[in-house]
Amino acid sequence: MSNNWGVLKFIARRLLLGVVTLFIVSLVVFAATQLLPSDPAQAILGRDANAASTAALREKLGLDHTAFYQYTHWLKGMVTGDPGDSFNARQPILDYIGDRVVNSLFLLFLASVISIPLSLWLGGYCARKRDTTFDNVVSNAMLAVASLPEFVVGIILVLLLSVRVWHVLPAVSTIGIGQGPWSDMRGMILPTAVLVIGAVPYISRVVRASMIEVLESDYIEMARLKGAPESVVLRRHALPNALGPVFQVIALNIAYFAAGVIVVEALFNYPGIGGALRDAVRVRDIPVIQFLVMVLATVYVVTNLAADVATVLVTPRLRTRMQ
Amino acid sequence: MAYDPVHGLVPGRFNRRQLILGSSTAAVIAAALAACGSDNKSSAPAGTNAPAATDAPAGTSAPTGTQAATATTAAAAGTPKAGGILRVGTLGGANDIIDGQHIVSKADIMRQVTGWEPLMSFSPDFVPEYANGLASDVTAKAADDFVITLKDGIKFSNGNPVTADDLVYSFTRLLDPDLALYGGSVLRTVLDKSGITKVDDKTVELKLKQGVSNFKETLCAYTLAVVPQGYERFSGDPSTQVGTGAYMLKSFEVGKESVHVKNPNYWDTGKPYFDEVHITDFADSDALINALLADQIDVAADIPSASVATVQGTDGYKVLNSEGGGWLTISMAVDQDPFTDVRVRQAMRLIVDRDAMVEQVLAGYGRVANDLYSPLDAAYAKDLPQRKQDLDAAKKLLADAGKSDLTIDLFAPNDTAGLPEMVQLFAEQAKGAGITVNAQVIDGGTYWGDEYLKRTFAVDYWGTRNFLLQVAAGSLKDVSPYPDDHWPPAGSTFEDDYKAALAETDDTKRKVITDKMQKELYETGGLIIPFFQNLLDAYNGRVQGLVARPNTLNLDHYGRGWKNLFFSE
Repeated sequence: MSNNWGVLKFIARRLLLGVVTLFIVSLVVFAATQLLPSDPAQAILGRDANAASTAALREKLGLDHTAFYQYTHWLKGMVTGDPGDSFNARQPILDYIGDRVVNSLFLLFLASVISIPLSLWLGGYCARKRDTTFDNVVSNAMLAVASLPEFVVGIILVLLLSVRVWHVLPAVSTIGIGQGPWSDMRGMILPTAVLVIGAVPYISRVVRASMIEVLESDYIEMARLKGAPESVVLRRHALPNALGPVFQVIALNIAYFAAGVIVVEALFNYPGIGGALRDAVRVRDIPVIQFLVMVLATVYVVTNLAADVATVLVTPRLRTRMQ
Repeated sequence: MAYDPVHGLVPGRFNRRQLILGSSTAAVIAAALAACGSDNKSSAPAGTNAPAATDAPAGTSAPTGTQAATATTAAAAGTPKAGGILRVGTLGGANDIIDGQHIVSKADIMRQVTGWEPLMSFSPDFVPEYANGLASDVTAKAADDFVITLKDGIKFSNGNPVTADDLVYSFTRLLDPDLALYGGSVLRTVLDKSGITKVDDKTVELKLKQGVSNFKETLCAYTLAVVPQGYERFSGDPSTQVGTGAYMLKSFEVGKESVHVKNPNYWDTGKPYFDEVHITDFADSDALINALLADQIDVAADIPSASVATVQGTDGYKVLNSEGGGWLTISMAVDQDPFTDVRVRQAMRLIVDRDAMVEQVLAGYGRVANDLYSPLDAAYAKDLPQRKQDLDAAKKLLADAGKSDLTIDLFAPNDTAGLPEMVQLFAEQAKGAGITVNAQVIDGGTYWGDEYLKRTFAVDYWGTRNFLLQVAAGSLKDVSPYPDDHWPPAGSTFEDDYKAALAETDDTKRKVITDKMQKELYETGGLIIPFFQNLLDAYNGRVQGLVARPNTLNLDHYGRGWKNLFFSE
């Protein structure tokens, strides 16, 4: 019982820390958007702005209030699930880009559910076949792939599979009006593949290193001496102990996906938050910028929190320390 | 391209100005073509400003440079076939709108042209004509009094006939200062609401505030379109978007896609051919080209010059390379030091290596210009000698002005393709004259902000207009919305000449006045205009009906709202 209390207290503390982190991020985001060059009203009106129309628009957008009022007002809205209206589209942000957030999260989800099991298997297998030809080839290939930026990978895939060599996959995603991204699964293949290719080398290398370390430990030796089959040794004894560092890398990679989708979305014309963020920055649509950055920050904080908790749960040493 | 595929859609900027094209000038272009042959790209860019042969056949619908073959194909395609869905890709984003009389970005223009039509339009030779417009006749009772008669039997997409009441509403909406419609900016300067009178069911009379000798050209602007009574901008319900265009809106998801279906009541017999037109937004021009080459779209509007070779190198795909009248400019404020001294302005113009500008800024897809605008206007002063780089003359002028060691900042925004490249190249070329030009490429939002139009040495971009409309838009510092160079300087008769030209209905007499104005701009003006840009699009070879000819809008005026295009068998 005391054992569980320790873990719960740890989770509560980490949750609190996560909230504090998001609060600090919100302050930074708000301050940064205040510092953007040029006034939002001016940016929206563009070359046709004049003093009267700019002033009128500033008032309409609430820009004539103090920064403190604007911030607290916005924060209250974010917390209560009403992030406000887009300056530019003049409609509630959730109506305006809610679909795009869903699209990006779906892409992130697909990339995660493919890359994580794949990396675990690949890393584990390489560890087991350590220093064989298979291991050497895979390790070096992974290293090579990891050195390529994702837009290069994307362009190569498009040229190979869509535009130049084979015409087997769509080059851009075509999600119909009012439909979810799952309506065009063929169009999801290349964007997902680029993210998976970007993530698998990192995760699998950590899995491999971690597994090798574990496989060399005394208790694995003992398990083998006791006559446990190798598959059981790997699954029951080695993998759980190797997962600690792996969770951290997975969390980092999901955070990387969240940023990586911006590049991938542009390449495949995928209607996600990347394009929305770029449009928003261009026209100084501050509520949208703030909202999207907070979404990204939340993904980051939540995945890291989950990784920390999971690490603790699978690592007896850490778990017992909390008693 | 004055249009940045990535950053170019800042509201209220690009193409605001691309209203009107000058009148008949096919002679210039036809002559240039005669001079440079048909299939020779390398000679095409420099060709247009060559002195025109007087006997050039006006009216040839001039295929330009690389795309002579395209025009031939289209002409030879035979009987148009009906049916199919045309899939169009354009650069666009979350800021797109649909309004029958207003546009912000190029995507907006495409959708506007798809659904609405003006009263008149320019012929291939840039003469106002009735063929693609809704008016059957526009008669000038006086220079300031025009009577407009609608064609018989024209209906809106909802089946209602187009009447004089709709026309009155359309003009009234354009004049509404609160709506600030793009189409209304020119009209508001010459027309008041009180000047609009319904004569009968098909006839409306406009009494202008002053004589406007080129008013028919104004009526050719695509945004001076006819909308039904009570029309309002798209705000969620596609059924409100009623127009006379060949296609009507079925659905629109901003920043993503719009679907347009054939207008069953379309007046132009036999047209259009496609059942539907789908317009998809792309945030990135690489994705746009990839979608074309993967056969996910049939037509890609407004492609970067860098991708021309890719498209042409792929079997089955073609590039539409049309001469446009758009231009970029480096502007010198004639009322600010050091440009108050005309010698400094002249020196700056002699510093420019225009051929290098065309090659490096436009990748060759443009024509050398002569510091004058409106190349497609019949009144364009084509006989003035082509200005060339002359660094010795520039040095001498600078020395005479006491500015041999001049150091000056030249500002450009980072959000419009071509402008940063142009100022950087100019700064390099200026070294040859011994002066220091610091190319300052700054954030677009800042550039177009409070300091825009106030800087001493800066840049801008313009679409195509005829000469007098361009003067009104940019060369009259007290009235123009965008007076880049603060023209005219004190003591100039330019503004009086402009008024005289506007009131002069005799073409020959007016040409004498505009020649004088252009000579003044050529000799002492504050704009450096190094080139005119071409319009570049790409398409699948099965799309028929696209003709490469001088044009104001991409894709052969978007196939005039797609009604001229069809698929081959």
